[in-house]
Amino acid sequence: MSTWMRSLGLVCALMGCALIMACGPQAEAPAPAGEAGEGAPVVGGVAELPAAPETPEPTPIAEPETPPAPAGPTEDEEPRWTIAMSQCNLGEPWRVQMNADIAAAAAQHPEIEVVFQDAQNDASRQRSQIEEFAAAGVDLLIVSPMEPEPLTGPISEVYQQGIPVIVLDRAVYGEDYTCFIGADNVKIAEAVGEFVLEILGGEGQVVELTGRMTDMPGRDRHIGFHNVIDGTGVEVIFQADTIWLEPNARSEMESALSRFEDIDLVYGHNDPAARGAHLAARAADRDDEMLFLGIDALPHEGQAYVREGIFAATFLYPTGGAEAIDIALRILNGEEVPKEIVLNSRVFTPDNIDQGGEVLIFTEE
Amino acid sequence: MTEALTTAWEWITRAHGHLLIVDQVVIALAVVAFLARHRIRRWLQSHEAISRGFSSPFVRALLALGLIMLLGCRFNADGAFFHWSTHRDMFRSYSFFGILACGMTVVILTAGIDLSVGSILGFVGVVFAHMAIRWQWSGWLAIPLCLAIGAALGAVSGALIARFRMQPFIATLAMMVFARGLARYVTSNYKIGRNVILPDNTPFRYPNPPVFDLLDSKILWDNVHFSTLVMLGCFALTWILLTRLRVGRHIYAIGGNEEAARLSGVPTAAVKVFVYALCGLFCAVAGICFTGQATQGDPDAGFTYELTAIAMVVIGGTSLMGGRGGIGLTFLGVLIFGYLDKILSINGQGTEIRFMFTGLIIVIAVLLQRGEK
Repeated sequence: MSTWMRSLGLVCALMGCALIMACGPQAEAPAPAGEAGEGAPVVGGVAELPAAPETPEPTPIAEPETPPAPAGPTEDEEPRWTIAMSQCNLGEPWRVQMNADIAAAAAQHPEIEVVFQDAQNDASRQRSQIEEFAAAGVDLLIVSPMEPEPLTGPISEVYQQGIPVIVLDRAVYGEDYTCFIGADNVKIAEAVGEFVLEILGGEGQVVELTGRMTDMPGRDRHIGFHNVIDGTGVEVIFQADTIWLEPNARSEMESALSRFEDIDLVYGHNDPAARGAHLAARAADRDDEMLFLGIDALPHEGQAYVREGIFAATFLYPTGGAEAIDIALRILNGEEVPKEIVLNSRVFTPDNIDQGGEVLIFTEE
Repeated sequence: MTEALTTAWEWITRAHGHLLIVDQVVIALAVVAFLARHRIRRWLQSHEAISRGFSSPFVRALLALGLIMLLGCRFNADGAFFHWSTHRDMFRSYSFFGILACGMTVVILTAGIDLSVGSILGFVGVVFAHMAIRWQWSGWLAIPLCLAIGAALGAVSGALIARFRMQPFIATLAMMVFARGLARYVTSNYKIGRNVILPDNTPFRYPNPPVFDLLDSKILWDNVHFSTLVMLGCFALTWILLTRLRVGRHIYAIGGNEEAARLSGVPTAAVKVFVYALCGLFCAVAGICFTGQATQGDPDAGFTYELTAIAMVVIGGTSLMGGRGGIGLTFLGVLIFGYLDKILSINGQGTEIRFMFTGLIIVIAVLLQRGEK
């Protein structure tokens, strides 16, 4: 009896393991969502490379140095500089995208090599990873800090040792870094507010599905939006905290739908929030009555939803990954860089999505 | 001091302005009931049928639920609480928790605990999404396989507990972390959705798997969501298992006194493996429904769901010490939790209020369960 049970358990466990293994590598292969640029060095992609307009410079440099190897990608060249990237939390799709953007940008430059670390949402782990990088003697540190308070000290120490530091997305206190690159949520949310005023003709009832309101981005995306719409005919009739999650957004939207007959627009603080709302409205057969707006505009999320026709617009919250590599190269080549760079955003609507969206300029350079 | 008093008085008068006549009557009745509590108790004791009714945990859980429903009627958000769609949507969004709570009840009845339910939900969810979206497998193939994966993961926890004598808390904690890692590993941290960007930077959209439409459909003239039906099916299955089958008696026996159960011939190890495998199976069911409704697999789905599932089982009246409780109680626990959240949601209350109310309701429900000695 119990031996039978035991062997059944064993079979189950083995089956599970086999499935997991079957799933693992294949799961990674067809998930090209963010690794768009990394796909390039694959053998099959080489034939297409000359056609791509982004890579005119590296190909002539790479060709003379790699004479025989037919399958050998550009990795054969010895990188001159090592750049360390300390990411605070790879559990968020947006941060996965940031790393992917950095990797894609770095793949264009054979002279640099990027090493990544994920602090798994833990400031003290990020601190030790930063210290390890410094001890390993990297040439430049890119850091997207978890929190300013515990990480300002360690980042400043690295900077004092003479290693240039690029702080990405979240700021630290003081002046001990080379360059800060970040987007401005308040400005993006103000752009959302202006878009809403225009598309609704200055009047309407809005459901606001917020991000986690104890997070800085959640608060800023709320403040910026209200900076513009308060005092106009656009009114927020229902506001709920989705803690950035799509299932939560769906249940909150269900509540809003059963309570309010007239909803003109749903403003989601991120794309999953707006999409969760759309799922609820579609289930209630009311998705045609209202518009959906989101922020973040990841290519496989918000931009795809605009393309599907379920979003009226999504606003890019840029990761700054490509800009960080650009700035890093300028620093390593001894050029002057500005102390702070506010990234421009883009708005994607069904009309301009195929042209790559429209740029919203926040700083002129 | 006087300043504090005047502020307090201002608050009271302001609160008084917000109270309806109904509220004032309810408050008055509550005060009277509190003052006359000894008399009420004596009256109850003299009517044995009633007092026996009140000592049953089911009636006590019903009391807590009734309290919540009264709250809903009072704070009905301009009548939104009286729309059937509100209730239908509550059942939809809480069906995942309900399904998880079925498995959790069985585990807790053996004096165990399963912390891995949320993670297994997440892992099975992404595997199912991958099979249905990326591989275009039909539901007939994908669903049984996913159920088997869930059961297998549960069986691993069960084997660690039964064979290797690990504490259920530790074994399932390990499984919780492991399964979450696995879910992130197989997806490389991406959601498995229909939209992808191909290596040449062109967007591509996979066709919608028909099984997703079924899982997100409403039946009975749009009145009941499909996943609610699945949840009710899980409850029925668990009820049959616990009350009509021999293994149900074994589960209660193990929870009551494992050593005694073993000595009287209950195959404790086998039953324990079975119980955790069953819980894993229910997690897989929940994961499949979850993915079908979101139309994508999220490796972080089900994060902290285990705590909600445990709380539902406990406020229903099933004892964490094992051996006492039942699936009907858990159903009431799910309703209590679901309705509380829905009422706060239609009233547009923020998370801070919701957390406090959830904490309060757990305490009140458990106190009601315990009653007076």
